[in-house]
Amino acid sequence: MLRKAIIAAIGLGALYANAAEVPINGTVQSRCIITTDTTGVYANPNAYTLTTDPTSGGQLPIVRFDVTLADAYYAEITAPSEFSTSPTLPDVVTWTGDTEVSAMSDATGMGSYETNKVELGMTDKYDLTATGSTWFKTSSTAVLGGNRAYPGGNYTALVEASCIAQ
Amino acid sequence: MKSLLFTLGLLLAINVKAHEMVPTYPEWSRGIYPGVLTTTMEIFNKRNDVEYYEIGVFDKDFEPIYFVADYKVFPLKHLSSISIDVYIAKENKDRVEYICSRSKIIKEDRSKTAVSSRICSRFRS
Repeated sequence: MLRKAIIAAIGLGALYANAAEVPINGTVQSRCIITTDTTGVYANPNAYTLTTDPTSGGQLPIVRFDVTLADAYYAEITAPSEFSTSPTLPDVVTWTGDTEVSAMSDATGMGSYETNKVELGMTDKYDLTATGSTWFKTSSTAVLGGNRAYPGGNYTALVEASCIAQ
Repeated sequence: MKSLLFTLGLLLAINVKAHEMVPTYPEWSRGIYPGVLTTTMEIFNKRNDVEYYEIGVFDKDFEPIYFVADYKVFPLKHLSSISIDVYIAKENKDRVEYICSRSKIIKEDRSKTAVSSRICSRFRS
């Protein structure tokens, strides 16, 4: 009888010990992820213009925002207004650029993103009110002053994509 | 067939170019020195075109606020993460609104538009 009681007590103790040591693991995942879907490429349709316009042979940069928390983030996308890399230029550059929603994972929840966006100069601000993925494409054109020819060399400009917690 | 799917999945995973940062809503805790507050941010680099990131602390108008961290620009290899301890003076606590991480693009021999990604976490009062 005593032996059975001791075995039962040890068994219960082991159960208790196991219960106390069960680990709880968790990983905090990002609620907003910025993914560069496509890198833009400048085409040179004439001597004084660089453009990402696909009809001129360029390629629009596309950025994807993945959001898992609705009404928690703004997407701010700024088209370039200067070159980050270029040869020395003989004149000033006039920049134009715009951002548009390219695709979306939830047409119902995200359908109003484009109409509700706020444009501040070269920056377009979107209120990410729905969860899911949204793709944004940004056009950029740089025209060298006086219709002067761009010197040969490599030109890089940055599109800045920001995901800002509300 | 399984190996083909695995290879395809691996290729897709390698091709992902994402930037992540947690937590979304950080909080300050007391630092090791009096008058100093600290918080820890974790940044993930899934961009194979980016090797460096920069961290900054800003007010509500995105004006920079002085802070201390081991590195403000730091290397971060593809598919790796880093924890950064950020320290501020206690008197700046109410001014701080955002901590942002931004990708740094390396010069390349192509005419292109690169994407600089920036994620900003917010302090809620």
